[in-house]
Amino acid sequence: MDNESIYILKRALQRERAARKQAEKILEDKSRELYQRTQELKESNEKLEDLVDKKEVKLQKVFDNLLDAYVQMDIFGNVIEMNHAAKKLFGYDISKEKLNVVKLIYKEDYKYAIKSFQELMTKGSFSDYRARVYTKNNGVRTVHINASLLFDKNKTPLGAQGIVTDITEELERKRIFEEQKQKLSVIVENSSLGIVLTQFGKIVQTNNAFQKLLGYTQEELLKKEIRDISIKDEYDSVASKIEKINTGEIDNFSINKRYLKRNGSSFWAKTNVAAVRNPIGDIQYQVSFIEDITAQLELEEQREQLVTNLEKTNQELKDYAHIVSHDLKSPLRSINALVNWIKEDHVDVLDKEGVHHFNMIEKTLEKMEDLINDILSYSSVSNMENLESKKIDLNTLVSEIMNILLIPENMTITIKNELPTIKGDSTRIQQLFQNLIGNALIYNDKEKGIIEIDYEDKKTHYLFSIKDNGVGVKKEHYDKIFKMFQSVGDNENSSGVGLAIVKKIIDLYEGEIWIESTTGKGTTFFFTLKK
Amino acid sequence: MSLTFLLIDDDEIERLKFARVLHKNDYPHKVIEAKNGEEALDILAQKDKQPDLIFLDLNMPKMNGLEFLSALKSNQELRYIPVIILSTSNNHKDLKEAYKIGAAGYIVKPLKYEDYTHKIKCLIEYWSVNELLKI
Repeated sequence: MDNESIYILKRALQRERAARKQAEKILEDKSRELYQRTQELKESNEKLEDLVDKKEVKLQKVFDNLLDAYVQMDIFGNVIEMNHAAKKLFGYDISKEKLNVVKLIYKEDYKYAIKSFQELMTKGSFSDYRARVYTKNNGVRTVHINASLLFDKNKTPLGAQGIVTDITEELERKRIFEEQKQKLSVIVENSSLGIVLTQFGKIVQTNNAFQKLLGYTQEELLKKEIRDISIKDEYDSVASKIEKINTGEIDNFSINKRYLKRNGSSFWAKTNVAAVRNPIGDIQYQVSFIEDITAQLELEEQREQLVTNLEKTNQELKDYAHIVSHDLKSPLRSINALVNWIKEDHVDVLDKEGVHHFNMIEKTLEKMEDLINDILSYSSVSNMENLESKKIDLNTLVSEIMNILLIPENMTITIKNELPTIKGDSTRIQQLFQNLIGNALIYNDKEKGIIEIDYEDKKTHYLFSIKDNGVGVKKEHYDKIFKMFQSVGDNENSSGVGLAIVKKIIDLYEGEIWIESTTGKGTTFFFTLKK
Repeated sequence: MSLTFLLIDDDEIERLKFARVLHKNDYPHKVIEAKNGEEALDILAQKDKQPDLIFLDLNMPKMNGLEFLSALKSNQELRYIPVIILSTSNNHKDLKEAYKIGAAGYIVKPLKYEDYTHKIKCLIEYWSVNELLKI
């Protein structure tokens, strides 16, 4: 071999060596790089797995914490996933026992369930499914379900998932609410009071009675305002009160106002208006209760008319008694004067008998006047115009009476108990005692006449008694003696009005009078006066 | 001293009674009689017939006693003449009303003539010693 050939060989060898070295280096570099990549890949894979794990845990937590039940099933209906709420709702634990959703379907809702399932399969989802389900312990709940299919990456359905909401309680609440609403509306509709709900004066609801009262239908009324069915002036006063409700000054009011009916007539009604407020106190409605008081007002008017008439008649009667009494007295006075003049002027032509007869005329006149005075005082006992209410010390009053009355020598009057001080009309109270004591004096035939006045305090009344040892009253006359002109004695000084006056005065003071008597032995008059 | 009385009463016998009391007791007083309030006002309108004292019944036709009294008291000159009511009525309302309007006295006519005589005599004697305003 020549040198050149050797040189060429050498160079070739050298080149080869260099190329191998380079190749080795590249290989080395590449494999280092590969290793590094593998490491990186491994790391990121781990991270990813970790992330997936974390997400899954998170999701699990969300499911578990979901208030609504979450159920996952395979395409055969086998439940493969249930959250806490689902377990609680259905009562099953799929980690312990298998569960197919068919088992949960309420018998009567079966058809509906199948139909919904088909919808799920064809459309991929259903919503607003409402039906009943069985729970493990044979309970029945009403649920609401939204469901959708789950697919794998090849779009093949794997199963389905659903959110199940228990609406049993909600439905029950609704049912109770409806029932109460129903009850309330029965009351409102059947109420004899007209009821109307208004908002800013506009009618928003009325009941039967209100429609009937006004002669409008509900539809017609809903187009109206309260203003339209009121009389202007009256509406203004209502409006001002409504304003007070709006400002919170008052919460309700009552007013008598008229309502205009469909036929143009009107009626009077008592109207109670109250505010209906929302929870924060703002006014939502005014509710008004309307009561037709036309008849009531008419009755009141009639009654007032009657009372007025009665008052007038009463007054006329009083005046009448008064006038008649005085008109009757005038001729008596004249006769008396004339008799006196005859006696004076013609004494020389009158014999003894003539004078006696004239004296009898005078006596008769006196009796007549007494009678008229009695009638007059009887009629004025109940005259409230001059009825006064003053403190009267009865001890003083009785001793004054004893001074006025002529007490015969053989009679004694004793007061057994201290008498009270009462409130009343002194003229009438004096008349009362005077008539009773006077009676006891007149109707006494005993050698020693005894009259005893006694008093007892009864909670609500004063009880008095006036006891005598006189002629007594027969039992059959007990009631009669208190009646007008029913004198049962034979005393010529008795007009038969005295005890009638007594009775009337006692009536005036809401008391009672009664007697206990033994004929020939004496009488006790008991009477009470209200405190 | 002789006084002039105006007696207003629709009842003739009442007027006779009054006159008789004056006559029987020899009083020197003069009586002008009127049957009712209207007649009395006519008399009072005549200047020469002004009485010193008026005796007035309450129950009279046409113008009654209280109406007359009100009319009299609203007259600036006549209001000074004392008026004594002679009434049948002791009704509290009448009594109060009479004094309210301005009566100078109130006598309830008694039944007995002798009681009447006594009351009128007392009245006349009382007023005889009074100083009276001459209009």
